[in-house]
Amino acid sequence: MILANIKALAVIGVAVAMVIGVSVSFSSYVSEFENVQDRTPQTFRTIALGSASATVTIVEVGDYQCEMCKLWFEKTRPQIIDNYVDTGKVNLIFIDMPFLGQDSLPAAVATYCADDQDKYWDYHVKLYQLQQHVDDGWANADRLSAIAFSLDLNMDVFDECMESKKHYDRVDFHKQKAKNDFGANSTPTFVIVNTAGDSEKIVGAHPYSTFEKVINSML
Amino acid sequence: MKNTFEIVFSHPSYILIAIGIFLLLFLPLIIVSEFLFFEPFMAFSIYPETALSFSLIVTLSCFSALAVSMNVYRVKLINDTRKIGSSIFGTILGASAGACSCGPIAFSIITTFGTAGSVASSFLTIYEIPIRLASIGILIMVIFVTTKSLSHECKIKS
Repeated sequence: MILANIKALAVIGVAVAMVIGVSVSFSSYVSEFENVQDRTPQTFRTIALGSASATVTIVEVGDYQCEMCKLWFEKTRPQIIDNYVDTGKVNLIFIDMPFLGQDSLPAAVATYCADDQDKYWDYHVKLYQLQQHVDDGWANADRLSAIAFSLDLNMDVFDECMESKKHYDRVDFHKQKAKNDFGANSTPTFVIVNTAGDSEKIVGAHPYSTFEKVINSML
Repeated sequence: MKNTFEIVFSHPSYILIAIGIFLLLFLPLIIVSEFLFFEPFMAFSIYPETALSFSLIVTLSCFSALAVSMNVYRVKLINDTRKIGSSIFGTILGASAGACSCGPIAFSIITTFGTAGSVASSFLTIYEIPIRLASIGILIMVIFVTTKSLSHECKIKS
């Protein structure tokens, strides 16, 4: 009889603990979700490369440690810049989706710290030019500072920005946006849109010929 | 060695098996490695930087096709399945390298396994060429041993 009561108490105890555990984790999930919801409208901002009058925009979803992004950066991007961006027909936007390694996020954040000093695209270009293997130290804190120094950024402002982590939310939001709105599950992924509302998704480091066809069909 | 190839591939069914295995390996690997694209347009791209990777995929697919088809013949002849395991191991090892660059496979692995997935994925990416070379080495060994074994068995049977 006593044994049966102990067993019943133990079962009730475990059930109560489980209910409390689930409630706590659910409430923390909800509050975390609400925090993300609260901070997103202020933090989401992209920096476009190109002309304000361009009718087509290429949205690139990328990771600074992604080797296929580097390949696209070296082989396809220069031709797009020469033929479409510099001629005022196309804008280029970069959305961060840092997932490959632990240095991917700080690298993305560093571009926004450079943006605070109007050097976003310079920093972006420098990162892809210097890219090596994932997490092998090429994008560690010291190297990110060295890149900033090489671009003549104010180092006090840059270091303070990196330490304050003020752009982490912004990169985090980009990542969510890339996954949820653009359906990106790999990098590089591109979404090409025009002012008429047409859009085309391109997954992978496609050659220039693909972009040429898509852009020309949207101009 | 030449004789053994002639014996195995004198049967059209083994030529078909070899072609099938080659395509089964070659096509997915060039798609995953972003040499071939189907959407929005069919496009093929190869650059000097990626030429070595492409040639290793071709070599790996060829050797896998030879090794597996010869071993299927050997299994039918003497009912010994030991070496087919090695050829499949070599094939899987070679195929896994490079499949985890920044594509959806890497994304799934990293989002599922976190840091461990990231480490595994970057290992397979960084050592893509040595891993593919190792798997080609395994397949060459398998082909060599299978050829020896087949010529020995054929001599006995004849």
